[in-house]
Amino acid sequence: MYYQAGLVIFIALIPFLFPSFRVMDVVAKIMIFTIVTASFDLLLGYTGILSFAHGMFFGIGAYSIALILFFAPNPSWVHIPLSIVVSLLVSIGLSVIISFFSLRVKAIFFAMLTLSLAEFAHILGVQWSGLTGGEDGISFTLPSVFNFNHSLGTLFHTEINGRLLVYYLILASTIALFAGLLRFIRSPLGRVLKAVRDNEQRTTALGYKTFGYKLYSIVFSSCTASLGGILFSMWLCYVNPGSVFHTAIMVNILLMVLIGGMGTLYGAMIGASFLIVTENWLPGLLKHMAAFAPESTLVNNLADRWQLYFGILFILVVLFFPKGVIGTIRSQMNLNRQAKQP
Amino acid sequence: METGGIMTTQTLGVEKSRERIKTRINMGMGMGIFLLPLIWMDTTTYFTLTVAGISLGMLIFLIASGLTLIFGLMDVLNLAHAAFFAFGAYAGAAVLNGFDSLGWISTASLPESLLYLVSALLAAGLTGAVLGIATETLVIRKVYGDHLMQLLVTVGVSFVIVEILKIVWGVNNEVVPVPMGFQDSFILWGVFIEYFRVVAIVLGIGVFAGLQFVLKKTKIGIIVRAGVENREIVKTTGYNISRIFTLIFAAGAALAATGGIMMAVFNQAVDPGMGDQFLIFALIVVIIGGMGSVTGSFIGAVMVGLSFNYVAYLIPKMALGVNFMIMAVILLIRPKGLFGKE
Repeated sequence: MYYQAGLVIFIALIPFLFPSFRVMDVVAKIMIFTIVTASFDLLLGYTGILSFAHGMFFGIGAYSIALILFFAPNPSWVHIPLSIVVSLLVSIGLSVIISFFSLRVKAIFFAMLTLSLAEFAHILGVQWSGLTGGEDGISFTLPSVFNFNHSLGTLFHTEINGRLLVYYLILASTIALFAGLLRFIRSPLGRVLKAVRDNEQRTTALGYKTFGYKLYSIVFSSCTASLGGILFSMWLCYVNPGSVFHTAIMVNILLMVLIGGMGTLYGAMIGASFLIVTENWLPGLLKHMAAFAPESTLVNNLADRWQLYFGILFILVVLFFPKGVIGTIRSQMNLNRQAKQP
Repeated sequence: METGGIMTTQTLGVEKSRERIKTRINMGMGMGIFLLPLIWMDTTTYFTLTVAGISLGMLIFLIASGLTLIFGLMDVLNLAHAAFFAFGAYAGAAVLNGFDSLGWISTASLPESLLYLVSALLAAGLTGAVLGIATETLVIRKVYGDHLMQLLVTVGVSFVIVEILKIVWGVNNEVVPVPMGFQDSFILWGVFIEYFRVVAIVLGIGVFAGLQFVLKKTKIGIIVRAGVENREIVKTTGYNISRIFTLIFAAGAALAATGGIMMAVFNQAVDPGMGDQFLIFALIVVIIGGMGSVTGSFIGAVMVGLSFNYVAYLIPKMALGVNFMIMAVILLIRPKGLFGKE
């Protein structure tokens, strides 16, 4: 409990400790992706379902607030709760439909169906340009106090503006949603989900309707992801298909879960921190390294395509480090505990 | 007792033939739906669209067949398939570009065009096979029997291959030179038919027949399926099971790559994201046809190709959406797809 409280206080103080925008930006993104990743972990690690549509739900949240604020005649704070309601309704509807169509057969079927749906969403986002603005995306401004130009004065040499308020909104939502996820997996329902993951037939034999439990898990996690999308959109005030619907986002979320450890929830923090920090500083680092060999196009290309290293890391983690950071630590601790007992 | 036994076999036989008649009626009704567009268009347009649709269907079948082959035999859902597809397209396009720089493409007669296309197909197939062998031996071999791990690791492989593709060929769209002979067409019943469409249809039917022959008439199919069940026992019968697995995987990858170059010539362009765009078709086809069934993929591909073309003519924006609707309807009636097994 003390660790968690300390972490929260530290994150709350970051805007005052590090006045640079880049640090704040990285921390905000880490918080958002912690939520998205943790909700994905609920599916992958706790229910044993691989969904490729998680990025799509993230995008649904991001687009719902962007579209509502962009098309509303005079945006006010009312539109924020409205977009939350809209995105939740859409996510619930879609996830129920997806589960109904695919969960009856096999988990692998679910993966395929969600993958094709996610691609469809990406294509829709690009081609339905009348609504989504196509590849160019939509930029919008937040209403009332959250507007980035809205200032409330300064405190300890830091300007209290709309962006800072959004930052704290993200922090508060992250705490609430993460606590919600923890509560979810520790509830009796969560325990049934773990049973479904480990042995579905046996759980059915014990009298649980596994379909219903899986449905709860999918609906809950996609709703959380879409709320994460809303926060993401609010932080950037900009959304385009490439940044929310692209497969690369899904690969990133998968990698975050894997690095942190499937079925640990807290692993999401480690995975998100690692990935977003590297994503922010790795390209620059590689460019510096490539500067030593400016003539060679191959070296420059290798430096440009930094995603390649993420892909290689991804494969290596799946093959050789499947438990992830937290999972490895936990199993090590269990071994130590067993060794101590006579 | 004896007569009873005979009676049961007889009734079973009758029921079986009834079942068969039922399937035939169902299939007939399914075919009937494809006459429906005639209400909105004249016969010439219908015929043109049908030829175009069947050739598109054959191209989609080429992509889907590799996926089906690997899944049906080896029980591996290979999500790197799209990457093999894109890589094959680029490799084949490089060969065609090579011929083009010699000035052969723009003056090619029909037989010469065929020769160039076959060499591009061979180059693509070879590249695909090499990639497939590398992927199987380095990565897939370690995760046989674990669906979740397979899905995850092939996502990573896909990401890496597409990044390598970008390093080698750049990130931009490129035009693929189409051999002159294919730009001609002949007239059949008042309809212009391009030669390339005929090539696509012939190739698709050829691959279908070839796969059916290998799976039904040779022992490879049964060896591989036995190997999935129990490697050790197959090994004791003297088959080098890991080499056979590698071969099958390479064959699937080569099919994807040849599908890639065919699609590149069809669209006259390649881009790094093309794999993802067509993977959606392949996934829909495999879901419609039933996972692991080559016949199912063939029929599913023709259905998708035809409906895509009809709807693209009638309501252009709905073309992809209709494929999703077909998939939804089929999943409602038969959750395992048309030819899916238990």
